[in-house]
This record gives sequence, C-alpha cells and structure tokens, in this order.
Amino acid sequence: MARSRGRRPRRATPLARFAGPGMSKRLRASERRATILAVAKVLFSDKGYHGVSVDEIARRLGVSPAILYRHFASKEALYEEVLNAIACKRESYVEAVVNSDGSFADVLRKITRIYIESVSKDPDYLRMELQSALEGSDATRQFFENRWRPFTDFIEFSLQEVTVEKGLPGVNGRVAAMAFQGMIREALYAKCIYRSPRYRELSLQELAEQLVTLFLNAVGYLEPAS
Amino acid sequence: MTEFDLVLDARGLNCPLPILRARQSIQKLNAGQVLHIVATDPGSVKDFEAFCKQTGNELLATNQQAGEYSFDIRKN
Repeated sequence: MARSRGRRPRRATPLARFAGPGMSKRLRASERRATILAVAKVLFSDKGYHGVSVDEIARRLGVSPAILYRHFASKEALYEEVLNAIACKRESYVEAVVNSDGSFADVLRKITRIYIESVSKDPDYLRMELQSALEGSDATRQFFENRWRPFTDFIEFSLQEVTVEKGLPGVNGRVAAMAFQGMIREALYAKCIYRSPRYRELSLQELAEQLVTLFLNAVGYLEPAS
Repeated sequence: MTEFDLVLDARGLNCPLPILRARQSIQKLNAGQVLHIVATDPGSVKDFEAFCKQTGNELLATNQQAGEYSFDIRKN
C-alpha cells in the first residue's frame, strides 16, 4: 500500500460511535472509558502530551471536561492509562521468565519478542514516545523510561553477573543497555513508523532476533547450544 | 509470621529480575519449603501474584512496610 511519508492521514476514530451531540447516557462506564482512551491516544500521538488539553479531548468526545475527570483524575493519569492500555502487561514478562531456560540470552530474547509484539500492534505508542522526546518533558520522559527499564536494568545487572561468572572482558552494562535500547527502538521506528523499504525482506521479529544476536555477540555472551 | 527456609533479597531490582531470581531460588528448595523474598519494586506485588499463578507455587503472604514488599512462597 502506498503510504505518504508526511503527516499521516487523519484516521477514523471511535468518535464515530458518538453520532449524537454527546455520549449516550446508556454507554456503560467501561465503554465510555475505552472511548476516552482511544480518542486521547490519537490526540496525544498527533500532538504530544503538552499539545493536547483536557478541554480539547472533551470537545472531541462531545462531553464536558467534568465527565473526563470522573474517569481520570488528571491529564497525566489519562496519559499514563493510554500507555498502559497499549504496552504489554507485566504478567507477560513474568510468563516469559517462567517459560525461559533462565539464561540471560533466553530471557532477553523472550521479553524483547513480547515488547515488540505489543508495541508494533499500535504504532501510536511509538509516536507518543517520539512526541515525548521532542517535548522534553520530565514527566512523559519518565513514563517511557520506566517502560524500558525491564530491558535496561535487566541488561545492566545481568551483564555484571555474567562478566564475573564467565570471566568475560569487562563490559559496561549501562552502556550496553543503551546500545540495546537504541537498536530495538530504531528497528521499531524503521518498520512501524518509517516503513523503510531497506528492511522489507525481514519481518520486525526477524529483524529484532538478529539484532539481539548481534548484541549478545558484541557483549561477548556465548549462547548455550540449543 | 511464616517460617521460611531461604531468603531472597531483591531490593533495588526491577522486573523481570526479582522473578528470575525467585525462580532460581525456588529451584534450590524441596517441595513444601518456603522462600521469603524482600523487594522494593511496587510492581513486584502483581508480578509475584502472576508468578505463583503461573508456576503453581503458593503465595502464603504478602506484606508491605516502609517502602519494602515481602512475599512468602511455598514450593509445590
């Protein structure tokens, strides 16, 4: 499908569900909440956290800001909830660990797969991350930093241990974690945002698998024979 | 307070490390023995609930005090 590289076309939003002047009173609280999240997500990903006001979200929904505050205590809470709804659940990481062989390489591969799968399903998450970087806001930067922590902390701590256990040449775990984050984030941008033809031959998961292998080789980690 | 057989200090660690360490510690125990875990990550409460659900081990107790969380898990 041909796709413009410029600003993405305005998508149909769940607003279409609100044919009338406002939200139907019959709409259940959970549906109402889901609709608020969907509309807020589109606005945040287009304009960033600071580019959108609660008033604007309410206007788009055809409701008063008071209705929004009934569901979300603040714009910040709404923003975080939008991210939580997209990002993978912690339970998935727990499952990855439980089903792994316990090695650094296997856990890293499994949690990377889970993260990539969840984020690639909804590139609005990546757009919000890009917007956050441009805005330079500490609060939103913190949200995203926390979402990378399962990787950055895991790599940093594990490499310290692995270095001692295996007698590997010292690797700065924090720097290695940064390299990993940069790699995976770039792969996501290339496939989900830029849709770069350069990597057309590889699926996102294949690309990520190869990057993880490159990373493990680069830090001197020898994977156990499978 | 539950008696326990092994202690895991997971303070300062974030997901997935406490879970990975807990998994390794539980492997050292015999069925019926109890692992006591101390953590500081608020998300560890949900994590250990999910961990026990997925592994079939029993979460005997969860406590929170002064920014620390503790869990007692009996190996099944």
